[in-house]
Amino acid sequence: MGFFKSLATMQGLISLIIVVLICLGVYIFAKSKGKKASISTKDVVAIGIGAALFAAVSFLSIPIGPNTSFRIAIALLVIFGAIYGPIVGFLVGFIGHALNDALMYGSVWWSWVFMSAMIGLFAGFIFLNKSFSVKTGQINKSHIIKMYLYSIFGILAGSVVSYLGDVFLYGEPADKVWLQIILANISNFVVIAVVGIPAIIALAKRNSKGSLEKE
Amino acid sequence: MNRTGSLYIEKTSFIHNLNGAVKLLLLICWTVFIFLFMDLRVFLSMIIIGFILLKMAQIPFKKIKTLIWFVVIFTIFNSIFLLLITPEYGSELAGTYSTFFEIGNLNITYETLFFSLTLSLKYLSILPITLLFLFTTHPSEFASSLNKIGIPYKVAYAVNIALRYIPDVTDEMKNIINAQEARGVCFNKKDAGIFKRLKNYVTILIPLLISSLNRVEIVSNAMDLRGFGRYKKRTWYHQKTFSIIDFLFLMISFGMIIVGIYLKNTLLKNFWYPF
Repeated sequence: MGFFKSLATMQGLISLIIVVLICLGVYIFAKSKGKKASISTKDVVAIGIGAALFAAVSFLSIPIGPNTSFRIAIALLVIFGAIYGPIVGFLVGFIGHALNDALMYGSVWWSWVFMSAMIGLFAGFIFLNKSFSVKTGQINKSHIIKMYLYSIFGILAGSVVSYLGDVFLYGEPADKVWLQIILANISNFVVIAVVGIPAIIALAKRNSKGSLEKE
Repeated sequence: MNRTGSLYIEKTSFIHNLNGAVKLLLLICWTVFIFLFMDLRVFLSMIIIGFILLKMAQIPFKKIKTLIWFVVIFTIFNSIFLLLITPEYGSELAGTYSTFFEIGNLNITYETLFFSLTLSLKYLSILPITLLFLFTTHPSEFASSLNKIGIPYKVAYAVNIALRYIPDVTDEMKNIINAQEARGVCFNKKDAGIFKRLKNYVTILIPLLISSLNRVEIVSNAMDLRGFGRYKKRTWYHQKTFSIIDFLFLMISFGMIIVGIYLKNTLLKNFWYPF
């Protein structure tokens, strides 16, 4: 079959190996942290409202080139991931992106939906860190460095998934997809670094203070 | 977009009466079917079938016009991009090489031109079935149909909440943008550089987030009080039992996958180039 033949090329094999490695890594990481995996009512509502926010904020974008723009909504994934954890991050990305695509364009670009979902998932790993909490304002330098690292990992993992989807399911030429992914990644990373992570820090700082304070 | 945040239009066609879960399965099977091929004939026939179904569902063309335009414009841009980046990709697939025209080093071939047309039609052929699902499924039934095809009900309910709150959150965001603009924070191209504007968006995001996080607390408390998540299963207000037509469409969906795999392995293996 054509599908398996195309997988047998060098790029296909390498991407498959990367996907398997990522899945293994995520599994081991989640196991070692050992927080419970079921979702509470608060998580359900957070996913719903996070996805609604994602869809609303998707209207805000600054175009920087053909088919590329700074999408502010990406910052929300990192924020919801950091506050509620990886499962919520993943689902906010997945549902938010899919709903926004469906309602705005009438069709869903599945491979890029996974890009958003992956960014949310990896951003959520900081939540598993026991000394970190946005709600009580516990945040320090090493957490911030980790957040940048996790978002880079998330972008890389998302790129592999959307590359596989675009090339093997949608049938796009590989060279073109690489170029698009690189452009999208640069803009996504800028949004996360300039808007997303500063917003988390601001939220945490706000929560660490009492509500009454002399300015 | 109406107040529920969905695109649903009330009508009484037989497609409206279909079970939401069946329509969702049809959508999934249709998409998988399209993904299997790289063949113009398949896509053209699926587009025609899709638009006949849309006609049967009595969806006014006026409502879907803009969405179709979006996809057409997107595919045109995508094709131009494809032709410029990989001008000889179609020739690699088709195995023949005939130059259409040259610009400097770029050698755009007829095969690539045909390939980008095929690819554009591929995207277009997923559109009608997605529109069919979005326009004929009631948003409350949407969640129950997600649950019915095996997605955990908590996730399905989250989708429901998202649909419910999209209009509210959008209104709130507009208010915050107006308030910040009144204070002199600029979001226009003329007023500030790109990074300045990007940083200004933080001033929208923080208040929007704080009010949304409060909303999460309020809604989740209300749901907890009503016992949400107490049991492993739940029933839905908008749940229909399967009718004969539902079973028929269920068979068609699964049949599509089987026929698709058969065709892929026998007749339509690769990229189809007739010339």
